[in-house]
Amino acid sequence: MLPALAGVLLVGLWFLIPKALDIPVFVLPSPSDVLRAGWNERSVLMSAALITMRGAALGFIAAVGVGFLISMALGFSPRIKASFYPYILVLQMMPVTILAPVFVLWLGQGLPSIVAITFMIGFFPVVANTTMGFISVDRGLRELLLMCKATRSQELRYLRIPGAMPYFLTGMKIAGTLAPIGAIVGDFLAGSAQNGIGGIGFMTIAYFSQLRTPELFATGFVACVLGFIFVGSVNWLHWRLLHSWHESMVKKE
Amino acid sequence: MAAFTQSNSPAIVTIKSLTKRFGDGPVILEGIDLSVQRDEFVSFIGPSGCGKSTLLRLIAGLTLITAGSIVVDGMTPENAREAMFFVFQEANLMPWRRVAENVELPLLLRGDAKDRRAERVAQMLEIVGLSSAAEKYPWQLSGGMKMRVSIARALSVAPRILLLDEPFGALDEMTRDKLNEDLLNLREQSPFTAFFVTHSVTEAVFLSSRIVVLSANPGRIATIVDVPFPYPRTAELRERPEFLQLLATTARALRAVRT
Repeated sequence: MLPALAGVLLVGLWFLIPKALDIPVFVLPSPSDVLRAGWNERSVLMSAALITMRGAALGFIAAVGVGFLISMALGFSPRIKASFYPYILVLQMMPVTILAPVFVLWLGQGLPSIVAITFMIGFFPVVANTTMGFISVDRGLRELLLMCKATRSQELRYLRIPGAMPYFLTGMKIAGTLAPIGAIVGDFLAGSAQNGIGGIGFMTIAYFSQLRTPELFATGFVACVLGFIFVGSVNWLHWRLLHSWHESMVKKE
Repeated sequence: MAAFTQSNSPAIVTIKSLTKRFGDGPVILEGIDLSVQRDEFVSFIGPSGCGKSTLLRLIAGLTLITAGSIVVDGMTPENAREAMFFVFQEANLMPWRRVAENVELPLLLRGDAKDRRAERVAQMLEIVGLSSAAEKYPWQLSGGMKMRVSIARALSVAPRILLLDEPFGALDEMTRDKLNEDLLNLREQSPFTAFFVTHSVTEAVFLSSRIVVLSANPGRIATIVDVPFPYPRTAELRERPEFLQLLATTARALRAVRT
């Protein structure tokens, strides 16, 4: 109830301010301008959202999948971790805006570059968290498996992977919040259009260059909804996999 | 039962002039000699830091011998693991596996077929009185129930030697007494040789056929108390005068090494 009231208040203010101060539409459009623009451009925005969603989803899957495998390798031996982890850090520290032109150079304008950029952004949190999970194996359980004469692959399957799951899913959650942003930034830097329609980032540039500010605002809201859908699905997956057994989920009686 | 009285039967575990130290640290155990017959129930008791847990871990091959030897079933501890199982201080259950799945784990790792596993798990849960909790997760269980699961898991593979490292230390006395009785009952059903580390004199006297009292710094065998009460033992043994008498004897032996 309270958020709804606050919402009405904020939208009301937004409605009144441009009128009261006589601000031109291309500087600050009113909510009605934005709604109208969004409705008129609905098919364009819908396609843009789908294009961005595809980039975000593919980049996210790549980040999560590759991140998991690399973490498993890093967690496998302290020596491998000590050797390679610094370079993963270097890669993380390199701003993605600088890498973007390189990706365009290698992969061309469009989806592959966008996926690569999204991957770059989401990959590190997955690796950082999951590696931690693979390293912090419960000592008692390791000894239990030792008593069972478990092989290395059994240990991986029955202890290390399930034990790393909560960490992995935390990394995945962070990657999930970054992926839509990554895809939009990627689109911004490396996007392309077919028949004048590109992803959210591309449309932002297009509308901006034409000073179509209401459409720009509408695009912002579409991006917002997209982010919610994406993060919501990832959180659902997180809950789905952990709720039956993990402390963070169960001890709320 | 009571096979331990046949002193001519071959020893299942033989420890000879065993010494243990971790790296350059102090000597934890020194000059340990002990021979244990099949189906004996041996308890280790002594002050904190006397190395009783370390001794158990050495028998299990979970830590390496510094000097001397341990022979388990004619093999080195590492090679004899198939015959042994360990019950840890904490229940050590996998939080992501249900109770039945936790009990199933050693059978699964050993490569038993699915129906055989299911049958054995059901049987073990029945024995420890947890059939109704089979589908629960560890977080839903009390401390005593978790320990029961841990014991069911250990016994699922029918080990010939069971090593227990203060398994009931964290439980209240009533639960502990009950689990002591249950442990002896389980041993009636499928006999095993037991090595049991504890801080509780009552527990040691109630369970054991022999109590090894260790002194600290370094850990040495100070006294061995023979417990003559025949198995099967029941709860009322705890009230008998000869039980209380032996309790006093053991407590005195323990006090002598406390300094």
